[in-house]
Amino acid sequence: MSFFSYAWNWIKQPQQWHGSGGIPVRILEQLYYTGLSLIIAALIAIPLGILIGHTGRGAVLVVNIANAWRAIPTLALLVLLTIWLGFSVLAWLIPLVVLGIPPILVNVYEGVAGVDPELKDAARGMGMTPWQQVRKVEVPVAMPLIVLGLRTGAIFVVATATIAAYIGLGGLGRYIIDGLAVDNYGEVAGGALFVVLLALAVQALFVGVRRAAVPRGLREQVRSS
Amino acid sequence: MDWSAVPGLTWESAYLGIVPALIGLVVSLPLGIACTRWRWLYGPVLSATSVLYALPSLALFIVLIPYTGLTDTTVIIPLTLFSLCVLVPAVVDGMRSVPDPVRQAATAMGFGTLRRLVQVELPIAVPIVIAGLRVAMVSSISLASVGQLIGVSSLGYLIIDGYQRDFATEIYVGGGLIIALALVCDLLLVLLRRSLTPWRPRRARGRPENVPIGVPAQPLPGGAA
Amino acid sequence: MITFESVTKRYPGGTVAVDSLDLEIPGGQTMVLVGPSGCGKTTTLRMINRLIEPSSGRILLDGQDMHESNPVTLRRGIGYVIQQAGLFPHRTIEDNIGTVPSLIGWGKAKARARARELMALVGLDESLARRYPYQLSGGQQQRVGVARALAADPPVLLMDEPFSAVDPIVRASLQDELLRLQAELHKTVVLVTHDVEEAIKVGDQVAIFRPGGKIAQLDTPERLLAAPADSYVENFLGFDRGIRRLSFLAASGLSLDDRSVVGEDTSASMAAETARRAGDEWVLVTDGGHQPRGWAAVSGLEALPSGSRAGQARLEPYGHTFDVRTDSLRAALDATVLSPTGQAVGVDDDGQVVGVTSYERLRDAIHTAEGAEPAAAPETAS
Repeated sequence: MSFFSYAWNWIKQPQQWHGSGGIPVRILEQLYYTGLSLIIAALIAIPLGILIGHTGRGAVLVVNIANAWRAIPTLALLVLLTIWLGFSVLAWLIPLVVLGIPPILVNVYEGVAGVDPELKDAARGMGMTPWQQVRKVEVPVAMPLIVLGLRTGAIFVVATATIAAYIGLGGLGRYIIDGLAVDNYGEVAGGALFVVLLALAVQALFVGVRRAAVPRGLREQVRSS
Repeated sequence: MDWSAVPGLTWESAYLGIVPALIGLVVSLPLGIACTRWRWLYGPVLSATSVLYALPSLALFIVLIPYTGLTDTTVIIPLTLFSLCVLVPAVVDGMRSVPDPVRQAATAMGFGTLRRLVQVELPIAVPIVIAGLRVAMVSSISLASVGQLIGVSSLGYLIIDGYQRDFATEIYVGGGLIIALALVCDLLLVLLRRSLTPWRPRRARGRPENVPIGVPAQPLPGGAA
Repeated sequence: MITFESVTKRYPGGTVAVDSLDLEIPGGQTMVLVGPSGCGKTTTLRMINRLIEPSSGRILLDGQDMHESNPVTLRRGIGYVIQQAGLFPHRTIEDNIGTVPSLIGWGKAKARARARELMALVGLDESLARRYPYQLSGGQQQRVGVARALAADPPVLLMDEPFSAVDPIVRASLQDELLRLQAELHKTVVLVTHDVEEAIKVGDQVAIFRPGGKIAQLDTPERLLAAPADSYVENFLGFDRGIRRLSFLAASGLSLDDRSVVGEDTSASMAAETARRAGDEWVLVTDGGHQPRGWAAVSGLEALPSGSRAGQARLEPYGHTFDVRTDSLRAALDATVLSPTGQAVGVDDDGQVVGVTSYERLRDAIHTAEGAEPAAAPETAS
């Protein structure tokens, strides 16, 4: 049987849609984990990235983070935190945030640092305070990359949240882990299918965010390079 | 702890990490070159690879199970697809990094198109392509460990086993070796790049060196760095 | 010999870059194509090595229609130098220079040997051979570019704004280098520039382009300066074309005055008396080797105690000298303007004083020259 037939056979069972273990609940859980982690990661990474990008100090830190973070195995992080803290909110929140920060940080840094030096010069020359330079010039110009960073961060957070079901987290990963444990491939496939759909929906959401947040003049400029 | 299994598991992790990156390179070269030759191609290709990149690895492993079983291939195919997202832009940016006067001079001197590609453009593109390859390889090595959840063996086994037996040391060993393996491969690629490009000035660079850092939905502005 | 027959280049959208061009580029000479941006000069150049294909018309290379040859082999026989050099960053200097020889099948050793020859030819130190382009200065890179273009000894050399990207001092030395190379090699050189000074300096023939891809005037530099065809050419040549034309008139036509030239051991009072009788206010004092030392005011000579030598007077600097055999009237005029006394010192090849000029003598020489045919360009047009 194909992947879709397995998945469909499981999905069409009405009981999958009810109760605390039902599909709608799991979807909301996944969105909650993802959203919360992403917001916290953004709250840390965006100001930090802007600061480093604007002042240029600490750029070495960003370089090393960029190169090293992809090496961190997700499972190890999740599992270790669970052992240290027991299964709790922090046990999953910390890994999700930790894995979400680097893509946001690196992209924000690149975006702000990469603003045309002549633009920055003009802003300073016009008498803008550093804060005004950041707010009126650097952040708007860096917006495409900032959004890209959030979007990339979302990818990693969604993926990590899925895997976090292994340490006991809810969400759509639950179906995959539970299904594997009892050899119920239907459940596994159903969970995987929804994970895929959710990931695509999140990406589509960010396309919308980009359209809203990036000034039109910049949008075209990026496209034509 | 069963130390005797470690070398085998390390070999597995290496295999599952390096092969996707290399296959990805082999696919990305012609694909990327085609995208520079026919510019309209790049947008769709990029969109396709970014969509794939957005899907959690665990889900993709699951999708393939009915077709490739619980084998290495099930892990290798998704990781290869992920690597395309980084390697195709790397090839394109590498080709674009060839200065126009150089290309023009080569044509004017009587280089045919193929000879120019092989003797002039690709050698100059090497640094950027290798930068992409580093990212692809490090990511693959790390992600391969997730395959342990569907029973495909790698150093991830130590993580899972350590968790199940509440034996933190094993997790440290597993996680640590994955990171070490990734960093060693990264270093080897840096050395490879150095040996292939004696013609580049050795400067300390403060910015991430041409790291394709995110999921480009459109061509990165001006190429990475 | 390169011939353009009614060549037109039209781009989609209607722009006509080159408009029905007829041009004959004689072999063994430097032809300069000059004009403002967008006038079609670069397009014309790039049609010679088929980087651009004409929309209509024919281009003949030594009588053969270029369209009939394979572009790749054609280009291997034509040298091409561009503004940013376009050196291969990933190859050493000697491998860069040896690119075309390698392409046409010479062995690596032979190509490298040839590269070294060329490095000497264009004035590059041999120690640079194994360096990489990024290690060289802009001027050095341009020389490598020229060497690379000459490596396979092509009969034709195309140059597209080759010296525009370097600073004026380096540019002047590269231009001199080109003149020297041409004197030795006699290639058919086609050079594109937007700098009319450069065109006049290096060109044997200069074609001034009008916007829209037509030639306004094609002539030798001195005839252009002497007789511009219309106001466009005149404006393009610039406002001091009269003076610049003097570069093409030899200083050897000047009559020089040697009465007021005295050795330093001559008696001061005698020198002063000679000068007074001639009506001069200044006397040029020379040393034992007949080299100039400086100008002495006659009143200063007279004020010296009796028995003094001319060399003991207070001397004004003699400024620039000009070589009576090789320099142009322009150099003589320049030296005269720069001199504190309104007179310039003419010297021979050994630096010995031949005589001095004055504005009157220059005026006479210019009038005479304008009536006659322009003389052959002196070795250093300055």
